[in-house]
This record gives sequence, C-alpha cells and structure tokens, in this order.
Amino acid sequence: MPLSERLPKSLSGRLVVGSALLALLVAVAFGVLVFAVTTLDDATKRERHAKALTAETLELQRLVLDLDTGLRGFVLTGREDLLAPWTSARAALPDKKRAFLRLASTTAGERRRAMTLVDSIDQYVADYAVPVVDIARTSPAAARQQVVSVEGASQLKTVRDHFGDFLSKESALAAARTSTAQRRSDEAIAAAVTGLIASALLIIGFGLYLSRSIARPAREVAEGAARLAGGDLTTRLVPQGVGEIGDLTRAFNEMAERLEASRRELEEQNERLRESEQAKSELVSIVAHELRTPLASVLGFTSVLLQREVTEDQRREYLGIIEAQARRLAALVNDFLDVQHLEEGRLSLARDLVDVGSVVREQTELFAGQSPNHLLDVSLPRAPLPVRGDSNRLAQVVANLLSNAIKYSPDGGVVRVAGTRTDHVIRVSIQDEGIGIPPELQPDIFGKFVRGHATANGIEGSGLGLAISRSLVEAHGGRIDFESTKGRGSTFWFEIPSASPE
Amino acid sequence: MNAITETAAKTVLICEDDSNLRTLVRLALGEEGFRFFEAPDGPSGLELARRTKPDLIVLDLMLPGRSGLDVLRDLRDSREFAETPVIVISAWSHSDDAALEAGATRFVAKPFDPDELRDAAVALLEDDRAP
Repeated sequence: MPLSERLPKSLSGRLVVGSALLALLVAVAFGVLVFAVTTLDDATKRERHAKALTAETLELQRLVLDLDTGLRGFVLTGREDLLAPWTSARAALPDKKRAFLRLASTTAGERRRAMTLVDSIDQYVADYAVPVVDIARTSPAAARQQVVSVEGASQLKTVRDHFGDFLSKESALAAARTSTAQRRSDEAIAAAVTGLIASALLIIGFGLYLSRSIARPAREVAEGAARLAGGDLTTRLVPQGVGEIGDLTRAFNEMAERLEASRRELEEQNERLRESEQAKSELVSIVAHELRTPLASVLGFTSVLLQREVTEDQRREYLGIIEAQARRLAALVNDFLDVQHLEEGRLSLARDLVDVGSVVREQTELFAGQSPNHLLDVSLPRAPLPVRGDSNRLAQVVANLLSNAIKYSPDGGVVRVAGTRTDHVIRVSIQDEGIGIPPELQPDIFGKFVRGHATANGIEGSGLGLAISRSLVEAHGGRIDFESTKGRGSTFWFEIPSASPE
Repeated sequence: MNAITETAAKTVLICEDDSNLRTLVRLALGEEGFRFFEAPDGPSGLELARRTKPDLIVLDLMLPGRSGLDVLRDLRDSREFAETPVIVISAWSHSDDAALEAGATRFVAKPFDPDELRDAAVALLEDDRAP
C-alpha cells in the first residue's frame, strides 16, 4: 500500500500523526544523547577507580619493599632498630591487603589476580621473611647466608613479578575500558546528532508541508473570495489541498457556482421584464395610433358640421360617418381589453352547454342583412352541435370570421358557412370567394394588428379579430386554422371538443 | 371638363388609406378652387403624382404597399418633385422629425383641425406662387 493511502485522509489527522512522529524522533535523539553522557560518566568513574587501585597496589608494593628492606637491614647488621620498617609494615599489611582486595573486585580475573598477589605476599611473609627474622635472632650468620643466597632473592622476586603482572594487566584493562567507553560515547553522540539533524530537517519539512497544504491554499481561497466580493462571479479555485482544505476549496467553488447561477437567473428575469415592458409600450403606442384614425374622422367631421355651411344630405352623411367611427372606436376599445384579458389569462368563460349550430344560425342572420352583395349559404345538421363553453364568446368568434369573410371579398360572392360533428369534435368552417391572403402574410395572420390587404382595399378593422378568435377557441380547448389562395378566397375553420347533450 | 376653370384650379394629391379621412381633407381644403386626386396606398400615390404633377401633396405615413416616408423620399429624389410642398398627416405623433428629415414641408398630427390644415395648405401654395 503506498504511503499516501496509509496516511489519514483529514488534515488534522495528518497533523497529529506528523507531530507524534516528530516528538518520537526528538525523544529518541535525546535518549541517545543521555546514553552518551552516561557512558562518558561511567568511563570517568572506572578510570578514577583504576587510578585508585593502581595507587593502592603501589602502596602495597611499598609495604612489601619496606618489609624486605627492614629484614635485610636487621639480618645483615643485627641491629634491632633497623627492623623498624619491617615492624610497621607488618602492622599495616592486613589493612592494606583488605583495602586492595576490596578495590580489586571489578571482574573475576582481576579478583583472581589480586588473590594470587596477596597469596604470594602471604607466602613470602610466612614462608620466608618471618622464619628468616626468627633465625637471625638465634643464628645471624645462617640468616645472613639465607638473605644473600639466590633463594632469598628469588622469594622477593616472585612477589615483585606478581606486582608487575598485576599492574600491567590492570593498566591494559583500564586502557581497553577507556577506549570502549570512548567508542560508545562517540557512537552515541553521532547517533544523537544525526537524530537531532533529522529532527530539524523533519521540522523544516513539516513546516513546508503545512505551508503547502494550509497556508498557500488558504491564501488562494482568500484571494478568490476577494475577487468574488469584487463582483467577478466566474472566479473558481483549482481544487487542491488535503482533507478540510480540499473541502473548503470545493465548497468555495460550489458557492461561486450558485452565486453565478442566481445572478444569471436575475439577469434573465430582468431581461424578460424589460422585453415585456417594451412590448407593453409598443402596444400602447399602436393602440394610440389605432384610436387616432377614427378619432380624426369623428373630430374632423364634427368641426366641419360646426364651422361650415352644409346641405341636409351632407349633414346626414357626415353624422353617419361620425357614428360609424365612434362605434369603431368602441369596438377597438373592447378588442384591446379582450386581448389584454386573454393575454393575462383574466378572461372568465362561462361553462354552459351551448349549441354551436344555434350560434352560427343567429350570427349568419345578423350579417345577412348587412351586405346585399354577399350570399350567405348556411349548412347545419338537424341535430344540435353541443359544446361546453361561453355562448357570447363563441358568437364573437363566428362574428369575427363572418365579418372577415365579407370584408375581404369586396366584390361580393358566396360565403359558405358549415357546421359538422365528427367523432368528438364540433367543426365550423367559413369559406369566402374573396381576395385571399398573400403567402407572405399567412404565417402571421393570427398575430396582433395584422390586417392583410385590408387597408389597401379600404377595409376597416383593428387587426385584433383573429388574435382574439384564436385565444377564445384555445380557451375552449379547441384549435383554429385556415386555407387560403391569393385571389381565390379563404376558408377559416375552428374545432371544439363536443359535449354529450344532457 | 371645363378647361378654363380647371387651369386656374390648384391640383392636390391626397395619399391616405382611410376613405373618410380623404373626404375630410377634401372638405377641409374646400371643394372650390382645388382639383383633387386620391390614392389609397403608396404605389398608386407615386404613380398618380407622376401622372398629375400636383401643386400640393397631402401624405399619410401608414400606407399599405409602400410607407409614406418611402413615398416622400422617392418624390424628393426626382427633380420634378424636389420643391413640391408636402403636408404629412399622421397618427404617429412622434414621427414628425422623421417626416421633416425625409423632406416633408409641414407635419400635421391626426386628429387634425380642418381649418388648421386649410390654412397650412393655402400658405404653402401662396409661398409656392411667390417666386
């Protein structure tokens, strides 16, 4: 498993692990250092002990030499006073031996060698020195003979050899110990220094890691936040950093994303509001224009009647124009209100059971008397054509279509009105033999203020009739459409779902 | 036709799509002393202008076929109508600047006072005669 996967995922976890490792390393280095100091201290103690042992050994050797000197002086001269060193040395010897043996007890070998040395001293004193002094008291010559003989000299030589041997061994041992202690101490110091250097490097590395994983990402988040606050909502951070810092970066990006989205939404809303405001102001402007044309006739002919001398026939003609234009104004105002209500969905429709056949019949009768040039041919089944809806509004649709059929066939002709029922649909079609609709106007014919060739032929209208008719048919759950050939005439039809008669 | 009286009469072309308003313009200027030609749309207005060479043109802006502004520009582009007085009448009350820029001599907003229109027409025809 790679290292990165073994590490904790969260930043705080990693910091805890890193700190613990660092503390452990520093503790180990410190322990090694303490060990080095202890080792050196120990070596110093041993050295002091070795020096004391050597001094004690030399002291013992001096006592032995004093013994021998006193012995020789007394034996060779016979003078009792020369035996003084012997006497004092013999008295001091037991204490010195004990002190020596107590010191020389560090290792088994040292103790063994010390025992051998003490044994050789005891042997010298017991087997040679004491008998020789006793002999000298009784037979000085024999004692003298003994002292100067080879054997007498060799007695002391054995002791001396033991001393030399002991001292040289002791010295070698001390040297070996010192060098071992020195080596250990050197090693320990080296290990401690290495540990401390490693700790220092690790602390630096830890600092760099902290900087990389906390300080730098935190700074980038702060800068990003400043840019965001400055209005740059497209600000995004590069996703980086461990654990909590990574979470922070992601949360920041998400926040920026949402801010940007909500601003975009607001801007779009604003744009829609602006567009609707503009559409409204255009509508007001168009309405004003549409109202001014009939108003111009009403006011103009009224002025003529008031200010000019006119004949009775002219007076009647002008009053007729004024009345027609005033009616046109009233119709226009109604149409505008209808469009407004339909667009805002505020038009309330009755949901009565209506016979479309009756509606068509009534409207055709109304229009039949208006135009002597047109023949209205009505074809309806005997059975009623029932739908659910508003009879006044359905009458308005039929009237609009009939009025268009008559208006747009200025040369007269047959207008065929038919009502049929197929399956679940009531269909009404109104066909004229008029001027038709030019192809370029056909796609917009249900739009507002579209008047086809109307003005060219002096045909009046608000240009709202078809727009209102379509809205009304659709409000009844139906559809409206047309077929038209320019110069041949048009057929407009609408379909509304039929209701089952009660 | 009486040739002698006709030559004295000024000719006026009324280019307006609403037939009532054409009648009203005629009444406003006064039937006496003028000879009127009427056109209900842009193209026939231009055609009639070329044919009759009127002394005054009363022009609506919202015309089918070709807008009043386009008709006006076409008139001003041809030498024979460069100086002909043109009164623009429109229900677009804020289009006066565009009309004057396109070469209109006067702008009269709809609804208009018949006397005001007559005074404007008379003044323009007298100016025309002066030089």
